[in-house]
Amino acid sequence: MVFLGSCSSDDEEYVAIDEPLEFTVPSNFPEPSYDLEANPPTKFGFELGKKLFYDGQLSANGFISCGFCHEQRHAFTHHGHQFSHGIDDLEGTRNTPAIQNAAFMTEFTWDGATSHLDLFPIIPITNEVEMGETVTNVVNKLKADKEYQKDFSLAFEDGEINTENFLKALAQFMVMMVSADSKYDKYVRNEAGGDLTDQEKEGMELFEQKCSSCHSTDLFTDGSFRNNGLPPNPQLNDVGREEVSGSADDRYKFKVPSLRNVEKTAPYMHDGRFGTLMAVLDFYDSGVVDSSTLDPLLKQEERLGIALSLSEKEAIIAFLNTLTDNTYLNDERFSEY
Amino acid sequence: MKKYSLYTLALSILLFVSCSSDDDGTTEELTGSGEISIKYDNGFNGNDLILNTPNSANENGEVITVTRFNYIVSNFRLVNEEGEEFVYPKDESYFIVSQETEEDNIVLPGIPAGKYTTLKFGIGVDQEKYLQGSEGQGDFLAEAEANNMMWSWQAGYKFLNFEGSFTSESVTEPTDFKIHMGSHGSSLDNYKEVTLELPTSVIVSDEIDSSIHLKIDASKILVSSNNIKLSEKSVIMVDEEKSPQIAVNTTEMFVVDHVHNGESHD
Repeated sequence: MVFLGSCSSDDEEYVAIDEPLEFTVPSNFPEPSYDLEANPPTKFGFELGKKLFYDGQLSANGFISCGFCHEQRHAFTHHGHQFSHGIDDLEGTRNTPAIQNAAFMTEFTWDGATSHLDLFPIIPITNEVEMGETVTNVVNKLKADKEYQKDFSLAFEDGEINTENFLKALAQFMVMMVSADSKYDKYVRNEAGGDLTDQEKEGMELFEQKCSSCHSTDLFTDGSFRNNGLPPNPQLNDVGREEVSGSADDRYKFKVPSLRNVEKTAPYMHDGRFGTLMAVLDFYDSGVVDSSTLDPLLKQEERLGIALSLSEKEAIIAFLNTLTDNTYLNDERFSEY
Repeated sequence: MKKYSLYTLALSILLFVSCSSDDDGTTEELTGSGEISIKYDNGFNGNDLILNTPNSANENGEVITVTRFNYIVSNFRLVNEEGEEFVYPKDESYFIVSQETEEDNIVLPGIPAGKYTTLKFGIGVDQEKYLQGSEGQGDFLAEAEANNMMWSWQAGYKFLNFEGSFTSESVTEPTDFKIHMGSHGSSLDNYKEVTLELPTSVIVSDEIDSSIHLKIDASKILVSSNNIKLSEKSVIMVDEEKSPQIAVNTTEMFVVDHVHNGESHD
C-alpha cells in the first residue's frame, strides 16, 4: 500500500482497498437480468449490504430487519409463518418469498410491484404491516451512525450515505445470493455428487411433462404471473397482479415462484395456505377451481388441474428435494452470525 | 451535476472573454448560455388554486376542495427557431411541483444561447429512468417520498397526487377523493409528454436569463378530454381504464401564459 500510495498520482488510493466481487453465472443458468455494470458488487458494498439486511434500524421500531422474515436456513423465507409479520405484530397477507437468484429475475414480489431489484427494498420498508418506515428516515438513522459513515465511505466512491448508495448496497448483497449447487445442478452439469436415484429421475421426467411450462429453465420459474386456480380466500380477497396493473384480466394472478430450495420454504403459495409439498400436489391434482382468469394450462380437455397419481406425486417431491442447495443454505457469506 | 455546472461555467467564461460584451446586445448574436426558469402557476378553472377552500362547481356539478396537488415534471426540452432541440441533461431533469410546499418554480441553468419557440416536458417518470434502478433515481427518490409521491405498496412513483373532498347533487356530505396516477408496474406506462408552443420566443444567453410562466388548471384533471365523475368513483389509484384517462387529462392542464425575456421570475 505504501508503494502504491507513493506513486499514485491521485489522492484516492483508499478506494483501492475495496475490491470487486466476482459474479459467476452458473453454466446451466440464463444471463442475469440485473445490470452488474451499473452497480458492480464489491467486497465492502456487499458487506455493507449484508449489515443493512440484518439491521433492525430499517424498521420503525428498530427490531424488524430484512433477515427477520428472510431466514437463511429456510432459504430466506419465514418458516412457520403463513404471512409475513412485521412491526407491532401486524400481519401481512402474503407469504415471505425466497430471495435466491434475484439477479436473474425481472419482476419482484408476488404481484410484480417493482421490476427493478434495487427498488424492491422500498416495499417492505415502507409497508405499514412490515417495517413501517420511510426510506428517508432510514437514511437519516444511518447518517447519524459513526460505523455506517465509515462503511459507506469504504463501499462507495462518493462515500455518501443516501438512498442511492443504501439501495445499491442492499442490491449487491442480494445479487450475490446465487443458489446453483444443488444435487440437481450437479446432475445437469455432470459434476460429482450429481447421481439421481431412479425415483428422482422419474420425478424429473414427470416434472418436465407436467410442471415445467411454468416452472421453466434452471431458475424453475418463467417469471410470469398466472392464476393457478387456488380458491380465493374470502377473508383476504387478495386479487394479486390486479393490484399493480389495475386490470381485471390479472385478477388472482401471482408470480410463478422458483422451486429452488422448495423443500425448505414451507408454507407454500402466495398466502402460505399449504404446509407440505404433498398438499400442493394434491391441490394441482384435484383442488384447482375454474375462473375467468384461470391459466389455460390448468384446464385442458375439460379437466381442471394436473392429473397425478400418488406414486407420481412422491416421485415429483423426490425430484424437488434434489433442488435443495445446502451450500447456499449454509453459506457463511450470507449468514447473520 | 457539479461537473456539468463547472463545465458550463468554464465555457461561459471562455466565451465571455472571447467576445465583446460592452453593448446592449439587441442585435448582437446571442452567445454562451443562460438560465430559463419555468413558473408553474397552479389554478383551478380560471381562479387561483387555494388549498382547503371550495371551488365553484365543475360541469359535473361537483364542488371540489383541494387539499393536495403535487405532480412530477421531467425530461425538459426546448426547440429553437431553427427547429433544433436542446435536451436538458436527463439526470437533472426531474422535478416535483407541489402546491403544499409552494415549490412551483423550476430552474434550468446552462441552456445554450438562442431563441426558443417550443417547450416540451414529461409528466411523471419514464420507464427508462425507472429501470436504471437506484443509480437512475439518485436523490429524486427521497424527494418524491418527502412529497408523498411514492406508493408504499409498490416501489413506484405517483406522477400526480391530487386529493381533497367534494360534494355533488348525489353526494351531499363532503366526501374525500384521492387521485394517485402513475405507471402500473411493468404492465401500464402512464408517463406522458406535453408540447407547448410559446407565444413569443424565449431568449437566453450569457447576459439574458428568462422565464416562462405557465398557468395550470387543475380542474382539467377531472374534466377535459375525458370526463371523470368523482360521484361514481372517488378513489382512483390503479384503475386500468380511468388512470390512463387522468394521465391524458393531466397533459391538458398546462397553458403558456407569457414569457419574460431578460428577467428570471423569482
